[in-house]
Amino acid sequence: MAVSDTQAVAATGRSGGLAVPSPLVILKKYYSVLLLIIVWEVVARLNLVTPFLLPSVSSILKGVYKATLEADLIRDTALTTYRALLSFCVALVIAVPIGISMARIRVIHWFFDPIVSIGFPTPKISFLPIFILWFGLFDRPKIFLATLACTFPIVTATYLGTMGVDKYLLWSARNMGTSENSLLRKVIFPATLPQVLNGAQIAMPISIIVVIVSEMLMGGGGLGNYIMVAQRFADSVSVFAGLLVISVLGYLLQKILEKVRALVLHWHEETQHESK
Amino acid sequence: MENICAIRNLTKVFFVERTGEYVHALDRIDLDLNRSEFLILLGPSGCGKSTLLFMLSGLDHPTSGEITFTEKSHDNKRLTCTVFQEYALFPWRTVIDNVAFGPEMRRVRKRARYREAERYIELVNLTGFETRFPNELSGGMRQRVALARALANDPEVILFDEPLAALDAQTRRVLQTELVSIWSKTKKTFVYVTHSLEEAVLLGERIVLMSSRPGRVKEIIDIADIPRPRSTTNEREVKVLAMLAEHIAAEVDKSMRREREL
Ligand SMILES: Nc1ncnc2c1ncn2[C@@H]1O[C@H](COP(=O)(O)OP(=O)(O)OP(=O)(O)O)[C@@H](O)[C@H]1O
Ligand SMILES: [Mg+2]
Repeated sequence: MAVSDTQAVAATGRSGGLAVPSPLVILKKYYSVLLLIIVWEVVARLNLVTPFLLPSVSSILKGVYKATLEADLIRDTALTTYRALLSFCVALVIAVPIGISMARIRVIHWFFDPIVSIGFPTPKISFLPIFILWFGLFDRPKIFLATLACTFPIVTATYLGTMGVDKYLLWSARNMGTSENSLLRKVIFPATLPQVLNGAQIAMPISIIVVIVSEMLMGGGGLGNYIMVAQRFADSVSVFAGLLVISVLGYLLQKILEKVRALVLHWHEETQHESK
Repeated sequence: MENICAIRNLTKVFFVERTGEYVHALDRIDLDLNRSEFLILLGPSGCGKSTLLFMLSGLDHPTSGEITFTEKSHDNKRLTCTVFQEYALFPWRTVIDNVAFGPEMRRVRKRARYREAERYIELVNLTGFETRFPNELSGGMRQRVALARALANDPEVILFDEPLAALDAQTRRVLQTELVSIWSKTKKTFVYVTHSLEEAVLLGERIVLMSSRPGRVKEIIDIADIPRPRSTTNEREVKVLAMLAEHIAAEVDKSMRREREL
């Protein structure tokens, strides 16, 4: 064993686990958000604007707490989470095979490529009226619409990922007698996974946005609906409470996805650098 | 000397769609591979060395002419495996799972293929690194993994396409020595493309000199009788080096002159 080899390995080390950061680290990372909250609280307390236009942060937190006791907010949060996650997962299941086969099969590329290039930039929310006609009023149109919206970024990312699979990997695998089926499962899919997860990270917020906007526009429960109802009753504390929950929800889902990515791609160079 | 592969009258012409031109890469190559030999392919850049390896590996087909192996390939027998300069390891697989890839494709049971992989990992001096991922290894170590992975398929011939070109001089030296030792231990046929004259002299038994494009076999130099370990400062080696240098210079000169004419 050459000395330089051993040193290189010692310097690289193994990737760390998913450690919980200390409060100080959190403070350092999010101080701008904290600062904003403090300024907000001070402005609200000084009565520079009426509480109706800008309720204090503490009263919003109290509002969240009270609404939680009434189980309203919890039900709506659960409903929105369910819709957003289901749409996201269905989109993954649909989009990944489409993306991979677009890159591998000419006919499929020929069929989907124009659909993707026209469909991607179209704001999917504009399909809402049609989806209501087709699928009714409650869960289905919202979930279908969010699924549709999530499909595009995942298809595109998967397609590009599959196209970009290192040709030497394919050559090596073929040279070792890999069947086309194994090539797909054991080489192309894992090689494309980082890109698929990039697409997923773009799709997740889209899913939440589409679900909430359609809840705002058509009711049927959920956080978007919660805010609209509160606004109708001039309950600005509840409006802000709903907003707070939405942003926390979005943040949490994104964080969870990041963790999943780090777990799945523990072999990936990028993940290993991040964890250092 | 047992012949294991005959290349006859092999010609390869590429059609470049973008420009609509034909590229004459290889021209009427005749070459025999002997069992357990260390064959070097040497020639100026673009003379078709990689293309020839590709034809041998079956990943591409000749325009005309043929390649005949005496053994027949089937599901459990690989005729060739390739070690690329780019390593081409599967980054999501650990060292041992990379090495066990070939056996896995042949549906060898997990226990058996790990035992097999372990043997080759030991042969390339990587014991203790089985559970590492490729990006946790240095370039030299990655190339050892690639070699072990090729060996684990037990192919007739191992093809090398400038495998050490991306490594630093010191690591390259170490690996050259190890390659020779692995070659003599495994008795495999090595077909080895290199740019380096020193490498050709240090490693090879026969050196195939190729002309610049279209690639032809210009001369085959037999240096099997130069004793090992070799050194670039011994008298015999120095002589061969000078001869190779002369040939390469002439070929490069020729191709440059031709380019000027175009
Ligand atoms: N797929 C291809 N399509 C068109 N032309 C090709 C293709 N592959 C190789 N060529 C051309 O064939 C010739 C031989 O290429 P090859 O890569 O075999 O050369 P080489 O001897 O390996 O060169 P180097 O030493 O630079 O690696 C080159 O002129 C190259 O441009
Ligand atoms: Mg080459």
